[in-house]
Amino acid sequence: MTRKWGLVVVTSLISLAVQAGPIEDQIRYRQSAYSFIGWNFGKIKNQVVDHPETYNKDQVVAAANALAATANSGLGALFGPGTDKGTGWKPTRLKAEFFQQPEDVRTAGVAFITEATALARAAESGNPEIIKAQFNKTSETCKGCHDKFRAKE
Amino acid sequence: MLQKVKVWDWPLRLFHWGLVLVVTAAVVTGKMGGPLADWHGRLGIVVLGLVVFRLLWGFVGTTHSRFADFFPTPARLLAYGRGVWQGLGHNPLGGLSVLALLGLLLLQVVSGLFANDDIAFEGPWAVLVDKSLSDRLTAWHGRLSWGLLGLIGLHIAAVGFYARFKKINLLLPMMTGYKRIAADDGIPISSGRLEPGWLLVSTVMAAGLALSVANGVLPDRFIRLLDITAPAVDIEEPEPAVL
Repeated sequence: MTRKWGLVVVTSLISLAVQAGPIEDQIRYRQSAYSFIGWNFGKIKNQVVDHPETYNKDQVVAAANALAATANSGLGALFGPGTDKGTGWKPTRLKAEFFQQPEDVRTAGVAFITEATALARAAESGNPEIIKAQFNKTSETCKGCHDKFRAKE
Repeated sequence: MLQKVKVWDWPLRLFHWGLVLVVTAAVVTGKMGGPLADWHGRLGIVVLGLVVFRLLWGFVGTTHSRFADFFPTPARLLAYGRGVWQGLGHNPLGGLSVLALLGLLLLQVVSGLFANDDIAFEGPWAVLVDKSLSDRLTAWHGRLSWGLLGLIGLHIAAVGFYARFKKINLLLPMMTGYKRIAADDGIPISSGRLEPGWLLVSTVMAAGLALSVANGVLPDRFIRLLDITAPAVDIEEPEPAVL
């Protein structure tokens, strides 16, 4: 009898630990999204900025497409109210300012989506100089949001 | 009767003013970030080379460039506090300031080696640590930069204080290398000889270290030393079955 109750308690505790709430899910998904974006961004930088002698058009096109697709996947839905506190893969660095300045948030978000989409188009050109220029423009949109709405570690 | 005495050798002066230029550029590129982050990283490597040179020169340079000449020992600090310190080079307070600036610059460089800007830049040693540690070191790098700016401000203010209130020009000697002192001041005049051999050795070692750090030669060696690609768990050989 005690063994059965023990089992109930243990499985409840396990399921509580595994079952993150909606806030934790949002944070986890967006942290994953930006990690994935960073990975692809790094690939483009490596072939277009750092080591242009290794430029491979198809690889840069693939990375830029993945980046643009993620940017256009509706990431805004992962920044619901109350998500400035909580832990996804790690504690979120979103600042409370995010929810106090919706207009600036919109500007930053739209800028990122616009430039990331343009980066995918630039990658199609096969011209590293054009891609590099658009790469720089895109990285400024990352910075635009980070500087305002992400806390330093 | 005033006489000109050589105090600061030209490698030291070149180092000092080179540092002024490079650190200014590093601060500007660091604060602006974005596409300038790569330049900030390169400037940091130059700072590393300069600081390492200065550390070496502090042992093989001319008299007043050597740490032994101005290291702020308790005895010297006490003498300075009582107003009885005499010398041509850095006074003990100046000596403290030199060590503080060099130390802080070194901390900045080392933390910067592991740093990242969460966009597309990472330091040459960031590959050795996980992202979370890199983020923490980046944060320290940012915080320390304010300390560095404060120290530099203090340094400039001190030079100004000496000019205005003590009527001592510290700027000119750091440019020309010469100080004017009264011939009968009683201060021992010694500048030693600039050894070109040591200058070459120091320059080559400093440049070599900076370049190998920048190009990941040292991380490469560390990686092979630590074998960080090894599995985290020791794989045990299964014991042969006893039939």
